[in-house]
Amino acid sequence: MNRAPTSATTELMFLRLVADSFTRRPRRKVLTTAALALGMAVVTAALSVSLDVGDRLASEFRSLGANLVVTPAADSLPLEIGGVDYRPVNAGAYLPESDLPKIKTVFWHNNIIAFAPVLEVSAKFPIETVFAPGAPPRTIPEMPIVVIGTWAAHPVPLPDGGTFTTGITKTNPWFRVDGKWFSDQRPIERFNVGSMGHTYLPGNPECVAGEKLAARRSLHIGDQVVVAPAADVQNMQSCDVTGILSTGGAEDDALLMSLSEVQRLAGKPGQYRKLYLSALTKPEDAFGRRDPTTMKPAEVERWMCTPYISSIAASIKEVLPGTDVRVIRRVAEGEGTILTRVRALLWMVTLAALLAAALAVGASSAASVIERRTEIGLMKALGAGSGTVGFLLAAEQLLLAFVGGGIGYSLGIVLARLVGQRIFGVAPAPSMLVLVAVLVLAAGVTLLGSAIPMRRASRYEPAPIMRGE
Amino acid sequence: MGAQGTQNRQMFWRIVRRLLTANRGRLFVILLALGAGAAVTSALLNLQVDAKRRLTTEFRRFGANVLVTPSDVSRASAVLNTLPASIMDRISLESKSSRATADPFLYFTSVLNLKTAQSPSQIPVVVVGTNLSKLDQISPSWQWKRMMPQLEAERPCILGVRLSSQILKRKWDAILLAPGAQSKNLGGGSNSYECTELSEFSSGGPEDDQFFMPLADAQRYSGMEERISVVQLSVPGTAREVDEYIAALRQRLPDAEVRPIRQFTEGESKIYSRISGLLTATVVIVLLLTGLCVMAAMTNVAMERRNDVGLMKAIGGATRRVLRLFLAEAALLGFAGGMMGAAAGIFLSIWLGKQVFGVAAQPRLIVYPVAVALTMIVAILSAYPLRRLAGVRPASVFRGEA
Repeated sequence: MNRAPTSATTELMFLRLVADSFTRRPRRKVLTTAALALGMAVVTAALSVSLDVGDRLASEFRSLGANLVVTPAADSLPLEIGGVDYRPVNAGAYLPESDLPKIKTVFWHNNIIAFAPVLEVSAKFPIETVFAPGAPPRTIPEMPIVVIGTWAAHPVPLPDGGTFTTGITKTNPWFRVDGKWFSDQRPIERFNVGSMGHTYLPGNPECVAGEKLAARRSLHIGDQVVVAPAADVQNMQSCDVTGILSTGGAEDDALLMSLSEVQRLAGKPGQYRKLYLSALTKPEDAFGRRDPTTMKPAEVERWMCTPYISSIAASIKEVLPGTDVRVIRRVAEGEGTILTRVRALLWMVTLAALLAAALAVGASSAASVIERRTEIGLMKALGAGSGTVGFLLAAEQLLLAFVGGGIGYSLGIVLARLVGQRIFGVAPAPSMLVLVAVLVLAAGVTLLGSAIPMRRASRYEPAPIMRGE
Repeated sequence: MGAQGTQNRQMFWRIVRRLLTANRGRLFVILLALGAGAAVTSALLNLQVDAKRRLTTEFRRFGANVLVTPSDVSRASAVLNTLPASIMDRISLESKSSRATADPFLYFTSVLNLKTAQSPSQIPVVVVGTNLSKLDQISPSWQWKRMMPQLEAERPCILGVRLSSQILKRKWDAILLAPGAQSKNLGGGSNSYECTELSEFSSGGPEDDQFFMPLADAQRYSGMEERISVVQLSVPGTAREVDEYIAALRQRLPDAEVRPIRQFTEGESKIYSRISGLLTATVVIVLLLTGLCVMAAMTNVAMERRNDVGLMKAIGGATRRVLRLFLAEAALLGFAGGMMGAAAGIFLSIWLGKQVFGVAAQPRLIVYPVAVALTMIVAILSAYPLRRLAGVRPASVFRGEA
């Protein structure tokens, strides 16, 4: 009785039956497919967004600024209150700027988004210090200020020949400048040299004034300011204010210039004191928190090959000898915990979406089998075995699953793009993995959904059904 | 007329009952689809409401986000510039969603003397006086290396990791804070302070170089009784709530400067808006598509009703009454499915909340009526295609024409 179709004619008949069921009542099939497609669209959108967003969220968190700080290992303790260091001028150690390109050679160089060296020098305003255009030179009552030297957007030549542009604007994204940041190089200016014509010489360096300093001393964009290091008042330097900086921190009271200018002011050419570094990391778990010195070799390898903040710190310490690389706990820990939570949240939402879609699709395919009682009865009356009937229905459901799943996938991709674009400004790329997952899920859910009514169908007695009971 | 009406109504509900129970399998399928929709709806709505609130709480792991400093910050006198300690009483900790934390800090520099028999050494340090018991709340990210501060200790000292590494390099019998040549901010206090209890932490910030002691001792030691340098506040809530809090605090403290730590307030608000946008978008899409999905499943079922409609019309049922019948059935189904789904949704949301935040999401009662109502609307809407049944011609149905 339960022979599976073997000969060529039965196979042909089988295909014809499947095709017929699609063409005879297209509207019903369209509806079932629509339910399937919609459900799978949910799954696709949720999956693509969660897969893609995990990475994107991590970079989003980098708007909190640097999570690593590098200082000289041999440094004396800074006596810093409110951003002012009260150490004697020559106390403390410095680090060579020439080592910095090495940072981009560490194993995790792609995870290092930005870094910025900082050198501070306490300075004074000498007499006749502000030259505003169209106004007589002004004097600022003598008072100490901090001049911070750093990179705004500095091209770092890499050992492999490329350049990497980085600076404080990237490590501290909350710094806002009204006007523009100073440029790293002195602008080239044209000077008239009497009867000899003209010559091009480096002009004044540019600088950015903290907003409180600017407000208190009424500095404006376009003014020229003269500063001198407190230790060596003769070594004056004038600069053009190109912007007013607002940070909400100690920098609001400082004057910022390019690192090379401050190195000259401080008499520390090629040196810096502190390096801020922003790295993409994996949130630390129990394993990441362990001390690598107590690990077995295999574990150390695993630890080094995971972008934990501590392993990135260790690899940076290797290329920058004589430094202390410390994790800015406040940023790193908070970021890690929240990132873990948010990822979990996303996956849970995805899971819920999957569940709902699966149940709805399963229900719809169950309904589509239930409604075909009569047809099944007829087939059985004509001598079809339960196996054949089940096989036929399963083939139909699978075909539906693939068509519906495919349509749902394309629909879901559009949705995911919409959401990604809206929220992150970047659309997630369509992924083959999601397509496969969606098709498998669609096939599984439809088969599972139709399995129960199908089993009942295979037990139907043809006679009562044909009688309409 | 009255008896007729009652009879009609009785008949109406009888037919509805028969429609519902005629095919158990189908009833189960519809209820499953509707219930799944309702469960996910209620769970997601609940989670979304809960997640937004919880995220702002999580953000407090970043520590303080608002500072109160003396308003005259001219550099020359900044070190001597302090606030009266009484300012703490004027800081209201009530913010919109939950309580803020405030902690006073007093900064000055002094010299740490490491006493030994042979060669005593000195380390100039920044001394921070604060409420040690609150350090944990205001800076939850610090890693305590040796021991947590023990508050019973008579004279506890907490060392930043870089300071403690300097100390560990040398030999000493006792650690004593005493005024030295480099001391600034000292108003004339002259007592020394000997540590009886040491602990160490790392923060990755300037605190790593600092020396922490109880506020009252620090005030007495430095001679700055009842003075503080800065108040750190950790204010929970969304960006707007924090801004409102700052504005309110500014009004209360005209003599001090209140400012947000922009690094965290801006970063947080950016992240928060992204995440809540993402959540809302996902929830809306899931709800919409789940609704459509249920609708498609329902419509499929509804289409088999052609025969029923044909029969009813054939024995004289008016189209409107027939439609009302089906609408009543759909509403009933939606209600039942919605109730069951919402009940399941309670458990689902509790479980989801546990998975994500480690704490069960508090069920929001408002969510459940909304979920049931939404399910009913979806059920009734999905009966909309039944309108086409109005055009069913009984004769053609009975002839078996599709």
